[in-house]
Amino acid sequence: MRLLRYLRDAAVFAPCYLLLDWVSYIHPLGPFNITPWNPQPALAIAWMLLGGLVHAPAVFATILLADLLIRSVPVGVSLLTALTLAAGYAGIAYVLRALLRPRPGLHTLRQLTVFIAAVVPGSAMVAAAFVGVLYATGSLGDTALFAAWLRFWVGDGVGVLVTAPLLLVAADPAGRSALAALARRWETYVQVALLGVTLWLIFAGLGGDPSHHFFLVFPPLIWTAIRHGLGGGVLAVALVQIGVVLGIHHHPVQSLPVIELQALVAALTLTALYLGVMTDERERANQGLKQSLRLATAGEMAGAIAHEVNQPLTALTNYARSGQMLAAAGRSAELGPILAKMLAEAQRASEVVRRLRDLFREGRTRLEQVPIGRLLESVRTEDLALQVEPGLPDLLVDRLQIELVLRNLIANAHEALDGRAAAAIGVRAQRHDAQHVRIVVTDNGPGLAAADRERVFEPFVSGKPSGMGLGLAVSRAIAEAHGGTLDAVPGPHGEFRLVLPVEAHG
Amino acid sequence: MAELAVYVVDDDASVRDSLALMLGLAGYATRLFADAESFLAAFDPAWSGCVVADLRLPGMSGIELQGRVRERGSALPFVIITAHGDVPAARAAFLGHAVDFVEKPFDDAQLRGAIDTAFALETRRLDEAELRRADEQKLARLTAREREVLEHAVQGKHAKEIGAALGISPRTVEVHKMRIMEKLGVRNVAELVRLRFR
Repeated sequence: MRLLRYLRDAAVFAPCYLLLDWVSYIHPLGPFNITPWNPQPALAIAWMLLGGLVHAPAVFATILLADLLIRSVPVGVSLLTALTLAAGYAGIAYVLRALLRPRPGLHTLRQLTVFIAAVVPGSAMVAAAFVGVLYATGSLGDTALFAAWLRFWVGDGVGVLVTAPLLLVAADPAGRSALAALARRWETYVQVALLGVTLWLIFAGLGGDPSHHFFLVFPPLIWTAIRHGLGGGVLAVALVQIGVVLGIHHHPVQSLPVIELQALVAALTLTALYLGVMTDERERANQGLKQSLRLATAGEMAGAIAHEVNQPLTALTNYARSGQMLAAAGRSAELGPILAKMLAEAQRASEVVRRLRDLFREGRTRLEQVPIGRLLESVRTEDLALQVEPGLPDLLVDRLQIELVLRNLIANAHEALDGRAAAAIGVRAQRHDAQHVRIVVTDNGPGLAAADRERVFEPFVSGKPSGMGLGLAVSRAIAEAHGGTLDAVPGPHGEFRLVLPVEAHG
Repeated sequence: MAELAVYVVDDDASVRDSLALMLGLAGYATRLFADAESFLAAFDPAWSGCVVADLRLPGMSGIELQGRVRERGSALPFVIITAHGDVPAARAAFLGHAVDFVEKPFDDAQLRGAIDTAFALETRRLDEAELRRADEQKLARLTAREREVLEHAVQGKHAKEIGAALGISPRTVEVHKMRIMEKLGVRNVAELVRLRFR
């Protein structure tokens, strides 16, 4: 079975390799595969990186076959060069396998840097060995050694840098779905068209030396990489590479500085890869943040609700234990009222649980009419100065959630004061407009600078050494879910304004 | 000796009612309060037993209440119960010498265990107070001169030294010592010292 799978993989790999080699066999140096564009090593490296070094013999055979089919190199020399290349690519794959653990690919900046740090010098060494073999066998003739090495290095290096990331993205299920998602966005087509037009301008439209206008390709490429991450970046780079190859091939001037163009492609590729990976990482961080925000909201709500649900459970347990004692004492006649109380407590507990479920499953808030005095009374602490404007209408809010917000604001004020003498925290309830009541929480702490006014509502911006600083972000989310607002008022003292809707009359 | 009672302070009417029922059936005397303020208004330093107070109360918290009771010089044991406890709250409770910190919903054995621990503490405290009061009554029966002799004697001085210090004869000192031990009901100097410093 294993052998069968091995042969099947090789049967896919070899034709692909041969095809790439044949397509890219342009502008060769002598009869050898010293061309300015060599994407096929990427295939070999990616295959051995993902599948393991067991594929090295198949790679060797394929390279040899390619030489025999595509080029007219003496068999003896071909054997030697194929061995050199297969060993070199296997070496690069081995290093990458060891360093890109545990999830091979270009998911992080570290992985990308490792990839580049392995491929660039690795391909230089492979090029040196290859050219060295040719020189030693006397096959190079009078070609300058350095020029041959540079040409091979740039060709292989750019080939791997451009193609291997594309293969790695395509081999990853998440990467594949990202690529598929690209096809469904109109923006992608605009970017492809723009890249095409730019390449046409560089090679035909503007005339002259294409490398002079090459910078034009950077803006659309950067746009693509920033918008679509690594998937977009590798696709754009592949497009540019194909465009450059076609451009060179069909250019009226045959003595183009191909190596320089390919060096530009290498620079472009590094830019696109780094931007792509950074975009992906930022996106992942954003997702992670959203996730932990949800969890933190859940955590804070759960804390508040645990209190609500534990009260009836406590009473229930006590009544049940009392019932047991009565029954044991033969006083069963007294059990009736206790059972009735137990039922009431069970209903109370299930009501809280129902709310919890509504909130987390549907994000629903259970609005009820809450007298503002009672709400403030429930969060009152000893050192709090309460001030309620007379004649305020009842609030229409989810009592549990708004209690949580108020506790949060008061706890915040406490923390801002940090145990200073003559600390004063005030809570004032006033009419805001016909449909809203305003609850103002003040403290005589240092207050907020105008610049921090919005910042404090960002998650993880916390003035306290402990805690995640999610309280205000969550509080604002709750206020807004009620159709209200929560704002910080900058000034010499701390002040937060919570505006909440009231029960409409008539 | 005063009867030991459980003083329940909880703002939740059902919790209060069910606790009173259960503890009452288990044979404890209970007194109920809806908040810390009403407890303090009724508080008498002579109360003995155990306070079972919720951590989160409207107004003053259970732990703040414990602090106030300590400020009034009472060692009345506290058991703090909470529906949503955290480490800082538990720490604060124990710093105020709470007997236990019990999370709701609790097993009745857990709560009764805490209450019984508190009662044992109270009994020992009350016994010691009783003993101390008896000692003080006995000491009050000594004359001024006998008190002087006692203060010297408990420092381990001999009759000669005491006599010299007080300007009386060693023989008179011995007579005083005999009368002191008679009045205090002790047999030797060691017991005298123990009683004096109890």
